[in-house]
Amino acid sequence: MARTRIVLAGEGGQGVQSIAKILVEAGYEAGKEILYIPNFGVEQRGGVSIAFCQVADEKIGEPRFSKGDIVIMLSDRAIDRCSDYANENSTVIYDSSVCSKKPTCNAKEIIAVEANKIANEQLSARVFNIIVLGVLLAATNVLKLDDIKNAMEMALGKKFDAKPELRELNYKALEMGMNMIQKAGV
Amino acid sequence: MVKKLITEDTRMFLTGNETIAYAANAAEAEFMYGYPITPQNEIMHTWCKLLPKTEAGFLQTEDEISAGFSTIGGILAGKRAFTATAGPGNVIMQDAQSMAEMMRIPFVCAVMQRGGPSTATVIYAQQETRLTCFGGNGEGFRIVYSTAGHQDLYDYMIKSFNTAWKYRFPTFMLADGYQGKMREPVTLYDPASRGIKMEPTPAFLRAQGKIDVDRKANHMRNTFNLEEELMEVLDSYQAEFDRISPEIEEYLEYKAEDAEILIIAHGIVARSAMTAVDELRAKGIKAGLFRPITLRPLAVKPLRAAVSRAKQVLFTESANGQLAQMVLEKIYGLQTPYSTLFKMGVGVTGDDIVQKVEQMVKTPATV
Repeated sequence: MARTRIVLAGEGGQGVQSIAKILVEAGYEAGKEILYIPNFGVEQRGGVSIAFCQVADEKIGEPRFSKGDIVIMLSDRAIDRCSDYANENSTVIYDSSVCSKKPTCNAKEIIAVEANKIANEQLSARVFNIIVLGVLLAATNVLKLDDIKNAMEMALGKKFDAKPELRELNYKALEMGMNMIQKAGV
Repeated sequence: MVKKLITEDTRMFLTGNETIAYAANAAEAEFMYGYPITPQNEIMHTWCKLLPKTEAGFLQTEDEISAGFSTIGGILAGKRAFTATAGPGNVIMQDAQSMAEMMRIPFVCAVMQRGGPSTATVIYAQQETRLTCFGGNGEGFRIVYSTAGHQDLYDYMIKSFNTAWKYRFPTFMLADGYQGKMREPVTLYDPASRGIKMEPTPAFLRAQGKIDVDRKANHMRNTFNLEEELMEVLDSYQAEFDRISPEIEEYLEYKAEDAEILIIAHGIVARSAMTAVDELRAKGIKAGLFRPITLRPLAVKPLRAAVSRAKQVLFTESANGQLAQMVLEKIYGLQTPYSTLFKMGVGVTGDDIVQKVEQMVKTPATV
């Protein structure tokens, strides 16, 4: 596919923009054409935070798009705000351990993941968003794991060097996220 | 002299705001004055982050009124100075911008539009189009470039300095919150490598040399006693603006030559229109784009020619027809019917335009 359109939406403070930055940096370093628009309101915390990302092989025209190939929604309010970005060609992913409802939008498929639950029970609440990044990586399938690891190194390398166990924790989170999609058989 | 950071072509993955700060440095800008407002803040942040390397200057003022007048002060003193603002900040900077028009000061300002009226959203809009072109209590003696992505931001920020100092009219680079905040690849370069020579920025006040011996006195007026005195000056400004307009006008046509439906859009919306044109052409619909790059002055001749060739025109904007009003005045007398797709303060997607044009094919515009 020439162009992959991603909508990643959650609550402000969930780390949506942080993982979008890692994803697009990885894409840029891998030689892809990239366009990323962070979209959020005036809140410091709370409110719906949306990342519109495009990864393409050719130069990208429209900065905003109507329908995403991958639509990830990480809260009830994100489901309310972003269901319109999905159509019959979209893969819709939501976190059933955060959301109290299931998206009812048009979709090619709707996949539930439990990133929040697994982060809290098995890893650390702080790597919730990295699990989601793993989900995104597996669901889009346009970038390689190594590209993402390199971009994580650029973003978090100093923290990793100070505490090497953080690197392992984040890698583990990425892997668990990817497994969630592989299990769902996408 | 400031130190230039970009000495050879460098591909980077930046936000638009970062790109603008790098462009101002590449243009050898010496000083930025500003006041924080989203979505423009990172121009200031980046400019300041680079200061230890660039050895340029920065002053954060108490508000945009002050930022605008401080910029004028820096320019009068002979500095290649600039500012940047957005939304309500753009509104309250109008007094300084009008003064720059009246006194023919080469004021340079990047405008990163956000939703309006008033505080509205911090995100995006094209609702400062009219304000930036015709704001203040004047006649719009301003040059306005509307950009459509990061390469434009870099190219036209550099160009804005030269246009302003060459023609002595305030010059604006009109962008928006999407362009400010979004990230995409951009090639930074040293303007000299593209044959661009920066216009000198001599001091207007306290210039070197003795008055009437080494140089003439520079009488810069902002106040007039008589109505006729004012009109004489403004008539001369209008004549000068008209004279230089053909040198400044810029536009871009995309598959417009044989277009039956001509889309007229500026800035980032024009980019969505290009995506739409490709999709429509693939479906056998002859669509094309006319994108004015300069909104002041508009490239009227090619605009009228393109509209005359088309069977229908579509205006689309993230505003309620601010560009359309400016264009309609200039294409007065032409018979091509038009339709509109206006989304106030909201991004226009390629799909939006495709659907609208398909409707126009089925039910042609009659206005």
